[in-house]
Amino acid sequence: MDLAFTPEEQKFREEIRAWVRANLPADIAHKVHNALHLTRDDHQRWARILGKKGWLGWGWPQAFGGPGWNAVQKHLFEEECALAGAPRVIPFGPVMVAPVIMAFGSPEQQQRFLPGIASGEVWWSQGYSEPGSGSDLASVKTRAERQGDKYLVNGQKTWTTLGQYGEWIFCLVRTSNEGKPQTGISFLLIDMKSPGVTVRPIKLLDGECEVNEVFFDNVEVPAENLIGEENKGWTYAKHLLSHERTNIADVNRAKRELERLKRIARAEGVYDDVRFRDEIAKLEVDVVALEMLVLRVLSAEKSGKNSLDIAGLLKIRGSEIQQRYSELMMLAAGPYALPLIREAMEAGWQGDAAAGALGGFPGGVTANAPLASTYFNMRKTTIYGGSNEVQRNIVAQTILG
Amino acid sequence: MDFDFTDDQQQLRDAVHKWVEKGYAFERRRRIEAGKEGVAGFSREAWTELAELGLCGLYIPEDEGGLGMGPVEGMVVMEELGRGIVLEPLAQSLIGGAVLSGYAGAELRNAWLPRIASGEVLVVLAQQERKARYRLEVCEATAAQAGSSWTVTGTKNLVPAGDQADAFLVPAKASGKLALFLVERTAQGVSTRGYGTQDGGRGADVVLDQAAAQLVTADGLTALEHAVDIGLASVCAEAVGVMDQTLAVTLDYMNTRKQFGVAIASFQALRHRAADMKMQLELARSMSYYASLKLNAPAEERRRALARAKYQLGQSMRFVGQQAVQLHGGIGVTDEYIVGHYFKKLTQLEMTYGDSLHQLGEVSARMQDTAGVFA
Repeated sequence: MDLAFTPEEQKFREEIRAWVRANLPADIAHKVHNALHLTRDDHQRWARILGKKGWLGWGWPQAFGGPGWNAVQKHLFEEECALAGAPRVIPFGPVMVAPVIMAFGSPEQQQRFLPGIASGEVWWSQGYSEPGSGSDLASVKTRAERQGDKYLVNGQKTWTTLGQYGEWIFCLVRTSNEGKPQTGISFLLIDMKSPGVTVRPIKLLDGECEVNEVFFDNVEVPAENLIGEENKGWTYAKHLLSHERTNIADVNRAKRELERLKRIARAEGVYDDVRFRDEIAKLEVDVVALEMLVLRVLSAEKSGKNSLDIAGLLKIRGSEIQQRYSELMMLAAGPYALPLIREAMEAGWQGDAAAGALGGFPGGVTANAPLASTYFNMRKTTIYGGSNEVQRNIVAQTILG
Repeated sequence: MDFDFTDDQQQLRDAVHKWVEKGYAFERRRRIEAGKEGVAGFSREAWTELAELGLCGLYIPEDEGGLGMGPVEGMVVMEELGRGIVLEPLAQSLIGGAVLSGYAGAELRNAWLPRIASGEVLVVLAQQERKARYRLEVCEATAAQAGSSWTVTGTKNLVPAGDQADAFLVPAKASGKLALFLVERTAQGVSTRGYGTQDGGRGADVVLDQAAAQLVTADGLTALEHAVDIGLASVCAEAVGVMDQTLAVTLDYMNTRKQFGVAIASFQALRHRAADMKMQLELARSMSYYASLKLNAPAEERRRALARAKYQLGQSMRFVGQQAVQLHGGIGVTDEYIVGHYFKKLTQLEMTYGDSLHQLGEVSARMQDTAGVFA
């Protein structure tokens, strides 16, 4: 047992750190460190920089052009990116659909789709949830009818994250109503430029349109876009979920945001208020405990000795911590988190120092404008990716049968 | 970064596990608690059995009669003793062994370390004072020097098995500065009053009236903080063992107990509670690892880590203990059934070497701008 990373792992971390420092654009890091609005271009710029280095698919095996890193190396890469202020890689392409294409796609599909994912050129979206299928995902109703060499798709997906930017979408579609709900689902890749696809953004509590509804009205999809076999899509979707294990805890980002919380608390004069400070201290213990939990999982994956089936715990704890730091940041700012000034969430906002390009007002206090918005936004974390109540069901199933 | 146990550590665990299972069943524990193997809450016979396994000398160097092992081995042993809610205070030998071998001069080491390791003597930390609560720097006991010899005057409470121990490690102020002394229980001026404690174990008030003492180290606070951190890591590991068992019997009970014609494990409200207990247990286990793996870190880093760990463990112990009783219903509040004894043990462990509020204060005072395991 040893808490320290090996000298090789340390060296690996330093190499990653040096590269990220040298290649992460400063304006993007500034936005991430201050929770300012990230544009499609911001995401794409960073994705292409990673893609060029061969690291956008940092979890990919070498056979598919990835770096072939082990679980610990992947973790160190994610941590260095997060601490440096890199935006979260939009996971739908490189983290979610790519492993499915690698495991179950044909060689033609692999050659056709993987390069665009690896380079960051093509923006992928996820078409899982439907208005009637949230936690009960196997009940999806969007239909795909086979007609000769194509499928005709009709139905609606929802909560499609950043779907307004999407070029391709991977969908769970119903191809059969026979047997259990899980057995009639197929995994289909759909070009979002196809006639009949309509994307309608949904405005959320923070005023942003982070998610969308996606409508399919007699959309023709070539049959060659079906992954694997018809009616086996549920199996492929489960494979996908097994690829976001420790990732889902997001402990690296929690470490970065805890530091930011301390900065905000200090600036707002509550860091030395014992009641407030103790709340930060509790969160600090929570973050350390989560990190230890993640490290235990990584160690088990590395040695293959004791498998630790605690993905549900990681999801629950990680999401609770995300909500808590966003809550404490807002509370630190107090009433000054309340002004709703959208411009203050854009880079270049001159704030209160002077009447700047975006219209700052001397004497006003708007530097904390994003804090309440982030708090409202973060309520999603205990709902998405399998709500925390569903996760508790899964944990209970494991320990109680 | 590696959380696997070595084969040797696994063998050590198996040996202690076997002793607990075969030699320290619940019925024997009851007898010891009731004083049927000596005084209430402590059995010298059981202590000797622990010594025969080599456990009393775990942290004592091999050339001084011990096993010369480290914090991970200590953790493994304490986890297993926790599983059996063993009453005899083995952590005291871990503390005594480490403190005397780390801070004492040759004379004291030679006189005491081999005998601690063999189990011949029990040396315990006597730091608790009425006005100190959990603060280590608060000490009213005083030491006076006459020539080359010392005497200590003061009162210490909740001394583990204090009326059975052979010697005490006693912090006392010498010319206003905290120093650490060794006082033998049979020395003139020492009186003790023993009593049972809520967890079924044994404590004592120890009154020292110009009792003859030997100086362990003049840098008493450094040694005391180290001693208590070893105690904290032991408490964390012991608590993990207790909680492992607590959750196991609770899950078993949920699958057995029927109400409304079905096992109560079928009710979602209770299933979610069980999931929350599992969460607290795994967070606690993670932080117990953290505590033991930081035990040899530089003092400031070590203190911060141990406070973080004990805060988590305190939260986990209270939740797991209280919910285990709740999920058992009426049987949970009886003396007859084991789960209440786990609960009482967890309650006492939370209040040992600093409860959750105290540890939160420590974490809060020691916060840095960065955070995380590697901060």
